[in-house]
Amino acid sequence: MPKLIIDNLPVEVAPGTTVLEAARSVGITIPHFCYHPALALASACRLCAVKMLDGPVKGIQMSCSLPAQDGMVVSTTDPEALKMRALVIEWLMINHPHDCPVCDEGGECLLQDFTIAGGHSRRRYQGDKRTHRNQYLGEHIYHEMNRCIQCYRCVRFYQDYAGGTDFGVTGSAGRVYFGRFEDGPLESPFSGNLVDICPTGVFTDKTGRFRARYWDYQFAPSVCQHCSVGCNLAPQVFQREVIKIVGRRNDQVNSWFICDRARFDKKGINDPSRPRAPRVDGEATDYEAALDALAARIYDFVEVHGPESLAFVGSSRLSLEGCLMLGELVANFDAASLSFYGDPAEAKGSQLATELLSGENVAAPADLASADCIVLLSVDLMNEGPMLAPFIRKAWLGGTKVYRIADPALLSGQQLPFDCIEAATLAEVPLEQASRAIVVCHATRTPREELSDVAATGARLAMLQPGPNGFGAALVAREHGARPFDELLAARKVRGIVAFESDLPVANLKGITVLGCADWQATELSQKAGVFLPTTTWMESTGTSINFEGRAQRFERAFRPGYPLKGLDAKYYAQSRYGEPAPGQPKTPPPQPPRIPRGEIPGGQEIEAWKAMARLLEKLGGELIVEPLTGSWQPLRDIDPEAGGERIFSLFKSSEPDTL
Amino acid sequence: MIPEQLKKTLEARVAHAFSAREAAVDVMKDLQFHYGWLTDEAVGEAAEILGLSRLQVEELATFYEMIYRRPVGNKMIHICDSISCWNAGYEKILDHLKARLGVEVGGTTADGQFTLVPCCCMGRCGDGPLISIGSTIYDNLTPELVDQALELERLSGSAAPEHQGQA
Repeated sequence: MPKLIIDNLPVEVAPGTTVLEAARSVGITIPHFCYHPALALASACRLCAVKMLDGPVKGIQMSCSLPAQDGMVVSTTDPEALKMRALVIEWLMINHPHDCPVCDEGGECLLQDFTIAGGHSRRRYQGDKRTHRNQYLGEHIYHEMNRCIQCYRCVRFYQDYAGGTDFGVTGSAGRVYFGRFEDGPLESPFSGNLVDICPTGVFTDKTGRFRARYWDYQFAPSVCQHCSVGCNLAPQVFQREVIKIVGRRNDQVNSWFICDRARFDKKGINDPSRPRAPRVDGEATDYEAALDALAARIYDFVEVHGPESLAFVGSSRLSLEGCLMLGELVANFDAASLSFYGDPAEAKGSQLATELLSGENVAAPADLASADCIVLLSVDLMNEGPMLAPFIRKAWLGGTKVYRIADPALLSGQQLPFDCIEAATLAEVPLEQASRAIVVCHATRTPREELSDVAATGARLAMLQPGPNGFGAALVAREHGARPFDELLAARKVRGIVAFESDLPVANLKGITVLGCADWQATELSQKAGVFLPTTTWMESTGTSINFEGRAQRFERAFRPGYPLKGLDAKYYAQSRYGEPAPGQPKTPPPQPPRIPRGEIPGGQEIEAWKAMARLLEKLGGELIVEPLTGSWQPLRDIDPEAGGERIFSLFKSSEPDTL
Repeated sequence: MIPEQLKKTLEARVAHAFSAREAAVDVMKDLQFHYGWLTDEAVGEAAEILGLSRLQVEELATFYEMIYRRPVGNKMIHICDSISCWNAGYEKILDHLKARLGVEVGGTTADGQFTLVPCCCMGRCGDGPLISIGSTIYDNLTPELVDQALELERLSGSAAPEHQGQA
């Protein structure tokens, strides 16, 4: 363990740690552009210069590529080092345009910060700046090459980390250019990370340009709810509109990055047709009245048909709090049914995962990077868990063999950023020879027998779930004896349902009354419901969701729901001053907030689904629950949203997971 | 389109390489010999033969100064503008070349015979200033020697000399 001294602070770090990382570990930030913890070293920018006062090497050194060694005495504040860094900044700024006021990166720009920090405020260079032609990189990312400082972060991410082949670096010396062979959308499903990773404004998020500055945004630590990987991210919200979404570090789950779906799919949340008002039989009303009506209708329904004909339907979109509250609602009626899935395969598979997985046999996404044998078993990776792919790629680059047992029904056509060896069955894969093998599969599609085969070899499982909180829903389903809705239908007992954020297909509901529906999307089910209750999206909610590996993660409310203050982005609505509405766009803009003083946010009646359930339960004669995480769930209340989440297996020590 | 025979030769070259990228420069040079310069079509063909994307071929093609991504004359004149040749007074030679050929740096003579481009170093810093015309290096140059060299190269014809280094 090398011991060194940095700015008079003694530091001890693991062998192989660089001086820059050693300094970071004690809270000293050495300015840097090309260094990124998730990427290979480039030593391209020369900004991280420090002065080595004593030890095996002396003088000015680049701290990002210098391994810490015993006896080093490092100064980050030595005048010589300061001078060097100031000069580096000055030369990097030679070609950089002075366009910060019209640059979307302004305010969240590393180059801006370090230029100020380096004291470079007066331009000495009077020559011409080199300029470039920008490329069209698709509808998500705007390219502005003149701002480039040649740190190579983008190409190291795009080609090395994410395995993309259509973006890279051309030319040499002063002609270096980062782009594509020709104009066209970036092909990698991880391309959006260029926005986060560029230290300046070469790549900016086209979907949220020129809307707000960094200091305008409301932020909160959030967790993506598109698939069951549960990547950490942070929405950037301005006046109740999600402008941008950026990745948030979680070393175990998503490293620093998120996929393009997580980053650019804001449509549902910003959707102007999002239902904002509670409705009873199609008439807008207030929340209290809607809850009263729903409670009365449930009461009447149970009086007439008996509680056995009533079902409460949730989904894996619900937060853990929502799932637990749904369980409480069902428990309020003696014989009512609970259901989280329509399809029995999804319900059973999801539940099987919670029964089989334990802290020992489950693999986190980051574990894939160090696996020595990986099997993709009937899984559509780029749709069902895209952020696993970069970790698998890392292992593959290190020589790990990746086997794929393809399911012909699943060929998504998307290329994987690594090569696979095709295998017909699991028996063909030499799992026994590996000591750190991981099988990536999907809960819905993996039969129990196959899983026993895997377990016999000692391989770990990355078992993706059918929904973002599938694991949480399955745990609650187990606790409350939930059944797949299709089975309830077949039994012909259910005659009325109350749905919470459910995606049940309406076609199956012939002869069944939808008493109530709570959702933040305008689903078909919500159109059919007698009483509709608007709920908040995850970005407007505080809650917990459990990803496929049983990791409970807390997300926090980034903003209070309601109509955006200035109406929505012009592209979402039609009636612009500039001409005809775009095809497929609604004819009228969403209602503008009225310009009268009032206490509540216009269109802001939505509440979290679990709170709607709690209030409904109270109206149905139950006890008012203010904290759904009770009993064995109680420790989850204290999860720090920024600490990486916690595996839930320790909560259920009493009920040991099934052995295979 | 390249002839089937050339394609087969190049594929064999790639098959013998430790990795496709190792053979990339050879493939690009042969395609350049075929087309006269590395056309967009040639980049596509190189990508296919090498199993790389077009961008990845472009990355390599634009890095090397003897792979030409624009049309060039029959013979390339590279003039070293690096520090040793600068010390030895390469600018005088450059001015002379520009005047004799009637082109600026990067230009091709009206008869399509020569293209003049700078290069960074030819590894013979003691013999500067120097230029290369086609595959021949002319060193310790004076304006008179440049004239002789040009005359010599004009006489020796236009046998696609960009194909430097090939037997």
